[in-house]
Amino acid sequence: MNTEALKELLYKMADDQLILGHRNSEWTGFGPILEEDIAFSSMAQDKIGHSLALYTFLEELGEQDPDTVAFTRHASQFHNCTLVELPNGEYDFSLIRHFLYDTAEALRFESLRQSSFEPLAQVATKIRGELRYHTMHANTWVKQLGSATTESIHRLQKSLDYALPYALGIFEPSPLEHDIIKDGIFVGEEALKSQWMKKVEEVISQTKLRLPAWDTLTAMNGGRVGKHTEYLQPLLDEMSEVFKIDPTAEW
Amino acid sequence: MASLDPRVNRLPKDQLQNALPKAPLDQFGTFEVFVQAREGKPFQHEGIVHAPNLEMAYLLAKEAFTRRFTCVSIYVTDTRHVHVSAMTEGNENAYDQIVEAQSDGKKESYEVYHLLKRGKQHIQVGNVDAGSPDEAMWLASQSLRGEKQVFNVWVIRASEIRFTSEEEKELWLTLPDKKFRDASAYKGGDKLKSFLEKMNP
Repeated sequence: MNTEALKELLYKMADDQLILGHRNSEWTGFGPILEEDIAFSSMAQDKIGHSLALYTFLEELGEQDPDTVAFTRHASQFHNCTLVELPNGEYDFSLIRHFLYDTAEALRFESLRQSSFEPLAQVATKIRGELRYHTMHANTWVKQLGSATTESIHRLQKSLDYALPYALGIFEPSPLEHDIIKDGIFVGEEALKSQWMKKVEEVISQTKLRLPAWDTLTAMNGGRVGKHTEYLQPLLDEMSEVFKIDPTAEW
Repeated sequence: MASLDPRVNRLPKDQLQNALPKAPLDQFGTFEVFVQAREGKPFQHEGIVHAPNLEMAYLLAKEAFTRRFTCVSIYVTDTRHVHVSAMTEGNENAYDQIVEAQSDGKKESYEVYHLLKRGKQHIQVGNVDAGSPDEAMWLASQSLRGEKQVFNVWVIRASEIRFTSEEEKELWLTLPDKKFRDASAYKGGDKLKSFLEKMNP
């Protein structure tokens, strides 16, 4: 098995989960209604948990420990797609991002249940219930607000149009893609992207939202090779504030 | 760049100055949430969620009521679909106030719940097939009354309930691992003790 290819996959997945988990946690105390505030915060916590599991695999493969990896790297050393680092904006954008990202995430982990890297296959099987809830949550909200009022439809549509090019950046191929597929670690970004497009079309078709033709969109790539938006570094500075004051602190 | 986290920024000042009074009745309706703690245990009423419809209520109830303690299933129903008996006091059994009722309506399954202690939760005790809620109450008094005193009876038409399907039970697979959501897992007392020891060696 090509360990470098495996590490690259783990890094980008873990970084996605950590950064989106942190962004989504920024809604804690500010959600649209109490019940949703709790649900969204709870899912944010799940994502941080997923990132920890993946960073732990990396540590076992010879990388530094999870806290060091999460809290001491510069933005240019992160491999997350830029979709997950964008500011929360209004709830419509956060929901659309949650829908677009979690659809891909659930499909990715579903496929990883067959991974030749056994520990990853086990984690993918273990967290399937959490991912089921995350996509159920996203789909139910998008169907609800995507068919509710003129305002809700308009706002979701605007966020969808804005987020889609970034969402395509989730599938930015790795230079080691060939090895990842050949070694049976993962089916690869291209295969995942087609599954994702089908699923997104299926949910959006049950709403009054419109999907632009896929071939009119240009993916916002770069995140996977450390080229990020101006929004990532301030997030990292804030997230690592306590760790940088006292690396041994427990809270 | 200034922080993007609203918990750091808090609300901008101008927004506070323009705050308007809250409109009356601007909330979603309520839905009742029932939780099953373990396989084979009865469902117990746990509280309400606000939601625009039944499916959204199910979605929100899942995290509002089952993110901490182990559970295997939940269900929800619109508050307006819960039919309630009179609430009794002292030694009076709620079933004694239920009068015979019959219905020609289509027979449907109703879930039946008892309140066995004031201030506690309603617990599911069984079901009856009835043509109306009143008939369901009457049939429950005949078949589910039991030995213990009942202070209040609820009946809910099963078709009005959003149940958890067998395959959806995987939603709670990792719940037993989430001890960190329990206040006790934080071990606040231990942390305080070690802090005090550090301050006053």
